[in-house]
Amino acid sequence: MFGPHFWRMKELILSGTLNPLKDLHLGKLALTKFPKSPETWIHRRWVLQQLIQENSLPSLVTKGNLGAAPVERIHRLVQEEMNVCSEAAGRYPSNYNAWSHRIWVLQHLGKLTIKVLLDELSSTKYWVSMHVSDHSGFHYRQFLLSSLIGRTVTDSNLLLQNWMVNVQNPRLLKEEESAGAAASCAEEQSVDLPRCLEEELELCTELIDTYPGHETLWCHRRCLFYLQHHLKNRIPLLSAVVSSVGSNDETLNNSHCSPAISHMAQAMDVDGLNESSSKQVYTQETKRLKRAPVQDSFGPEMEYRFINEVLSTCRDVDQARFATAYRKWLFIGD
Amino acid sequence: MRLYSLSVLYRGDPKVRLLKAAYDVSTFSFFQRSSVQEFMTFTSQLIVERSELGSRASVKEQEYLCHVYVRNDGLAGVVIADNEYPPRVCFTLLDKVLDEFSRQVSRADWPSGSPATISYTALDGHLSKYQNPRDADPMTKVQAELDETKIILHNTMESLLERGEKLDDLVSKSEVLGAQSKAFYKTARKQNSCCAIM
Repeated sequence: MFGPHFWRMKELILSGTLNPLKDLHLGKLALTKFPKSPETWIHRRWVLQQLIQENSLPSLVTKGNLGAAPVERIHRLVQEEMNVCSEAAGRYPSNYNAWSHRIWVLQHLGKLTIKVLLDELSSTKYWVSMHVSDHSGFHYRQFLLSSLIGRTVTDSNLLLQNWMVNVQNPRLLKEEESAGAAASCAEEQSVDLPRCLEEELELCTELIDTYPGHETLWCHRRCLFYLQHHLKNRIPLLSAVVSSVGSNDETLNNSHCSPAISHMAQAMDVDGLNESSSKQVYTQETKRLKRAPVQDSFGPEMEYRFINEVLSTCRDVDQARFATAYRKWLFIGD
Repeated sequence: MRLYSLSVLYRGDPKVRLLKAAYDVSTFSFFQRSSVQEFMTFTSQLIVERSELGSRASVKEQEYLCHVYVRNDGLAGVVIADNEYPPRVCFTLLDKVLDEFSRQVSRADWPSGSPATISYTALDGHLSKYQNPRDADPMTKVQAELDETKIILHNTMESLLERGEKLDDLVSKSEVLGAQSKAFYKTARKQNSCCAIM
């Protein structure tokens, strides 16, 4: 039904007849009536890609469709897309198309900078609090958090690589200088990841207590628990390397980016369907955890306490069921 | 997490009278709004009609939950919410509204009242304020007064009906529903669409 329409729009844009921004505006209106429409979202990405390409051509700085300075243009585009996604998400529950578009925009326009990730965490907090069974909304937050972890690990991997270079060639930089450079590099990119995850867990707790019986919140909790354990593996590693000079090769070799983060950040099946596969990933992780130095300010013990508290005070049948399932999930990995 | 309607009714004998109602249909497309509103009135009346004096119940219909409280004196309230909105807050709201209503509107006016004749204006404000449950009421996790085990749960509207009664018949006979709404209902039923009632 929409095919010929979008084909025509592409023609008009490529021939320079139609301003891509106008097309985006029209699409926004269409989404108020058809918030899920995959073709509308796909076309939207095509238009945005045209604008990205245009933006990277210096010759079009004055002639281009966007008007302001390049960085400013992109920032405005990103913000507008966030609004469009948010509205569409509100019009249809668990609107996968809207949320995956949102992720695409962050990746291709927002470049997944720490700033944009943190901004998005802050600006979607209220939304998810008012849509506690919207799985896609919470999955988005899991994506933001695991991207932040990935970002920090990448940056710290770069730091480690720099450090290794400096350690092997001490004449290139004086020891103090390289430590100073490493420190300021860490500062620039710094985000208090443990604190981020803690706050997210607090939010999750608050919502579980306030709105009993929503499976989405318990799925979110599982993901957070997993992310925190992943994080624990890396932070001690980095501070150990930066603070000590003669770090041994073994420790450095262990600092690889685990693809498992993205696996767990995907939609989680509550027990029954996918238990065996998530169980496998988790037990692999716990084996690694047991080798690493144990620094558990947040561990399963706290979670067991939380579960017991919920079970002793809740009066919602579903809540009790989810709490029990969560306990089973934790126990399997223990 | 939304509230769609808040109504005060009187469970008379034999008929149920709507005394006052407030609606929030802003999330529905413009074309649907008046039909949706009519169906919410229809549903609220039907639920009160089929509930005993002194009872509380929650009736599930697709992704909506209708919470009802019928007092012993016949005054009743219905909140229609989505399935995210915490039921406990709905019942708190109903208690509060019926209490306030009974103090402002004389009992003598209830058996013959209608939205046009009843002067009680607080309903829209309450509906709007309670859209965010955390703003409206401090969450009390232990509500000693409300015994949740006594709230009857109905999984469908059908379970309210008598044996042999059909919802389709009630819809077509209803005085509350306009012709367009009835037609809309018939089409939705035929398509087995997800919005048969609303």
